[in-house]
Amino acid sequence: MLKMHNLSKIYRTDEVETIALNNVNIEINSGEFVAIMGPSGCGKSTLLNIIGMLDNPSEGDYLFFDENVARYSEAKLANIRKRHIGFIFQSFNLIDELTVAENIELALLYHDIAASERRDRVAAVMDKVGIAHRAKHMPSQLSGGQQQRVAVARAVVGNQSMILADEPTGNLDSAHGQEVMEMLQGLNEEGTTIVMVTHSPAHADYARRTINLFDGQVVTENLRAA
Amino acid sequence: MFSNYVSVALRNLVKDKLYSFINIAGLAIGLAACVLIALFVRDELSYDQFWSNADRIYRLNTTFNTPGREPMVTVMAQGPTKDALKAYFPEEIEAVTRFNSMEVVMNKDGSVFSEILMWTDPETADIFDLEVVAGDLRQTLQDNASLAVNESFARKHFGEGNPLGKTVTINLMDIERDYRIGAVYKDLPHNSVLNFQGLAKIDENDFTKQNWEFSQWYSVNNYVYFTLKPGASIRTIEDRLDDFVDAYIEPPAAIGNAKSSTYVQYSLQPLTDIQLNQAGARDMEMKPTGDMGTVMAFAAIAALILMIACINFTNLATAKSTQRAREVAIRKVLGANRRQLVIQFLGESTVIAFIGLMFGLVLVEVALPFFSEFVGKDLVFDYFDGGTIGVLAGLMVVVGVLGGLYPALVLSGYRPARVLKANKSAESSGSARLRSALVVMQFAISITLIVSTGTVYGQKLYATRLDPGFNKENLLVVRNTSNSGAVSKRDAFKEQVLRIPGVVDAAFSSDAPASGNESNISVRVADDDGERTVLIGVHRVDYEFFETYEIPFLAGRAYNRQNALDVTPNGFAAEPGDLLQGNIIVNEGALGRFGFGTPKEAIGRVVKASVGNDVQAQFTIIGVIPDIKFQSLKEVMRPEVYMLASFGFSNLNVRYIGDPRPVVAEIEKSWKSMISTVPFAYDYVDEVMAQEFEAVESQSMLLGVFSGLAIVIACLGLYGLAAFTAARRTKEIGIRKVMGATVTDIVRLLIWQFSKPVLIANLVAWPVAVWGMLSWLENFPYRMEAWMLAPLCLIAGLIALGIAWATVGGNAAQVARANPIKALRYE
Repeated sequence: MLKMHNLSKIYRTDEVETIALNNVNIEINSGEFVAIMGPSGCGKSTLLNIIGMLDNPSEGDYLFFDENVARYSEAKLANIRKRHIGFIFQSFNLIDELTVAENIELALLYHDIAASERRDRVAAVMDKVGIAHRAKHMPSQLSGGQQQRVAVARAVVGNQSMILADEPTGNLDSAHGQEVMEMLQGLNEEGTTIVMVTHSPAHADYARRTINLFDGQVVTENLRAA
Repeated sequence: MFSNYVSVALRNLVKDKLYSFINIAGLAIGLAACVLIALFVRDELSYDQFWSNADRIYRLNTTFNTPGREPMVTVMAQGPTKDALKAYFPEEIEAVTRFNSMEVVMNKDGSVFSEILMWTDPETADIFDLEVVAGDLRQTLQDNASLAVNESFARKHFGEGNPLGKTVTINLMDIERDYRIGAVYKDLPHNSVLNFQGLAKIDENDFTKQNWEFSQWYSVNNYVYFTLKPGASIRTIEDRLDDFVDAYIEPPAAIGNAKSSTYVQYSLQPLTDIQLNQAGARDMEMKPTGDMGTVMAFAAIAALILMIACINFTNLATAKSTQRAREVAIRKVLGANRRQLVIQFLGESTVIAFIGLMFGLVLVEVALPFFSEFVGKDLVFDYFDGGTIGVLAGLMVVVGVLGGLYPALVLSGYRPARVLKANKSAESSGSARLRSALVVMQFAISITLIVSTGTVYGQKLYATRLDPGFNKENLLVVRNTSNSGAVSKRDAFKEQVLRIPGVVDAAFSSDAPASGNESNISVRVADDDGERTVLIGVHRVDYEFFETYEIPFLAGRAYNRQNALDVTPNGFAAEPGDLLQGNIIVNEGALGRFGFGTPKEAIGRVVKASVGNDVQAQFTIIGVIPDIKFQSLKEVMRPEVYMLASFGFSNLNVRYIGDPRPVVAEIEKSWKSMISTVPFAYDYVDEVMAQEFEAVESQSMLLGVFSGLAIVIACLGLYGLAAFTAARRTKEIGIRKVMGATVTDIVRLLIWQFSKPVLIANLVAWPVAVWGMLSWLENFPYRMEAWMLAPLCLIAGLIALGIAWATVGGNAAQVARANPIKALRYE
């Protein structure tokens, strides 16, 4: 599905040059569940942003379905992104002014989908994550776990083939955290590729493969026995 | 998609009430001011467009280039031009007509009153398509015993019944005749420079003794309008106007051997151009006109006020943008491209502009009657009038885009990776700098408007308090004393008035202050090369004139009854060719023109002038007075002579002491008992003089209102900014307080932050305001001292700073008092 070859990301300010990623080579296949681990500042989020096409690499190649997107413009990336990739964030990132249903629908708005079909798909995905009874509520009226379920729903409503999750359980207590992880596992079993950044070894265990980053470099890759 | 945008927009509005209130209130006020001013401007531009011949009607304006004086520009022309134009330009000119306004005494069924009627030619009916509601206008204007009147006049004097065929007796100069009402026309709309309630035919035989009205080439009393033949070029006429002058006008003695066209010059003014282009003439129009400068100034003010409101929008939206950064990031993550986001935010600002417009229209409806009355117009706001809705929609979009574009670009440019990762949004220093610059601009505009208001008001005060050189208090003028029914009895009337308790002095004069009359006399002065001719202003006065007006003498004496030579000799009582003797009083300005040195040296010097009937008189100067501002405070002082001659004594000037009301009542009683056929009319001199500045006064009030609005909107914006900034700085303030800063320190910190742009705004505004106001003051011959602008600027700056402090201070104090722990823990 995606392949990174000698990929580097360097942040430059006037005086300081920070190497966030250094010659990273990664390959992720369709249907995989990959966890990315490593200490703070090791480049996990940068890697995830580049995978999610929210950021361009400074050097190297990034092949997405055999298409090298490393130098693509923002508009082009946005176009690929909206068709293939869903996002889940640690801080949920729901829009406070929209209801639960509207937040989920947002992911379909930028696709050419008729209003009636949007409604149906939003209803279906809300059922799936178990928040249909909260459809008209505002995010501020929900608990953290419920908010993250809305975020998950939003990430998959467009039938995205890959979900990128940036510490999806970081703001949740353990019970809610486990709930979310099980949801992700369920999605993976249905065929969705999942790439997740996490600090929690327990949650990393849900993944089939773990990539350990340190100072911008891949140090180990562990495969969990099936 | 669209409903999603709208719901986000509306929920944002509801959520942040302060932000919404500031934006909507600012835009509502700004748009309301804009709409009101636009109505005013549209009305000013619509003058006389409604005549079916509007594009072919021109007026003949006359300029006299009197040697040694400013050219005198009039909007009238001489009576004989009517036939002369038609004869000289037969190929180009279709029809010519004259208007000459006269105050007549009317007698209807035994009641006597005075009215102003317009004497005109039959061609008026061809040139101006007046809407006739009864009778036949053409026939009426062919008859010197018929009147055409407008509906108001008909209703006023004949009630609701049919006025056609009814008669009134008219007394005017030598006319005493019954006039029959022959036609009634609809009142002219207010947006015309023409103004007459009744029309009577000019029959030059009625004015043989007053031949200056219609038959002399040196008397300018008629508005002369003509229509151009279809297809003819106005340039052809313009190119030959000088030839026209030389063909018809004898050169006056004052210009020596030069051609007449060096002295008299004509210009042609399109009818539709008259309202806004004064052609350099003092206002002698049928009614007060506007001017392009005022129209432009108000249009500019409207644009500036709207700009201040748009700046609020831009500033608050960028200040708030950090709060919406996350929404942008998420939308981008979900696939929105930049164009979609720009459209979303522009749409939002247009929605806000729309809500502002709705409230603005409410304000317009509320304010329109007051505004209309204030500008003296009958303004109507008709939504379904061609294009109004289009213009409003356009205004809304312009405001939405103007206010929303920059925030939309900033917001849509956020990089989601950065926003989401940092979970905070770094505002670019660029937009913070832009915000400061825009606040500077808002306050610069406000300060400039305050200075302008102050200057206009100051000039009005200066002009009305200016010492005119005579005592204008406790002085009244009884009018109409030269009307035919009053002339023979006026001396007896004056005796009677002098006996009234409270009356101190009384004197006749040909002119009263601020009358705008202009009469001149050619005076011959001996010099080294023999003699030269000087054209000089003349007033005819009574013995007690100088005493009544309390005018001091610089040298010499006033006229007195003991000296027979003081009376201006009468040429008609002598043989043509005689040289008579007389005495004369002049003003200081005249001495300069004569070359007679100081007032003392001038006493006893001699000048010559015609006294009618081809008879010359030699005048000895017996008195010199200062340059009193008798004519108009809007005019430059002119050299003048004051002759003791009873000709044209249309005013009795009365000085009184104490309460004027019983004095006026007594005067009126005497008038009515002695002069029953002429209506009694009087004015207080100080009031008449103040009236000249009514236009300036209303300008200063309008400016005041609009600059007040500008400041209110700017302060609304400043308040909003202060609130947002303080909210953003809570953590910084918390840390400062933990480090030991006091509430005062914090308040000072925040206030200083907002004082800087206001101070810079002063530096921007002062030169602009001073330059603008100095050039505005150029319009007035008597103007307030230029240095007065310095304190005005300082005061305006202090006002702006004070208002800014008051706006920001409360909020700053509140923020500064907050418990720092809360702020720090929250972060």
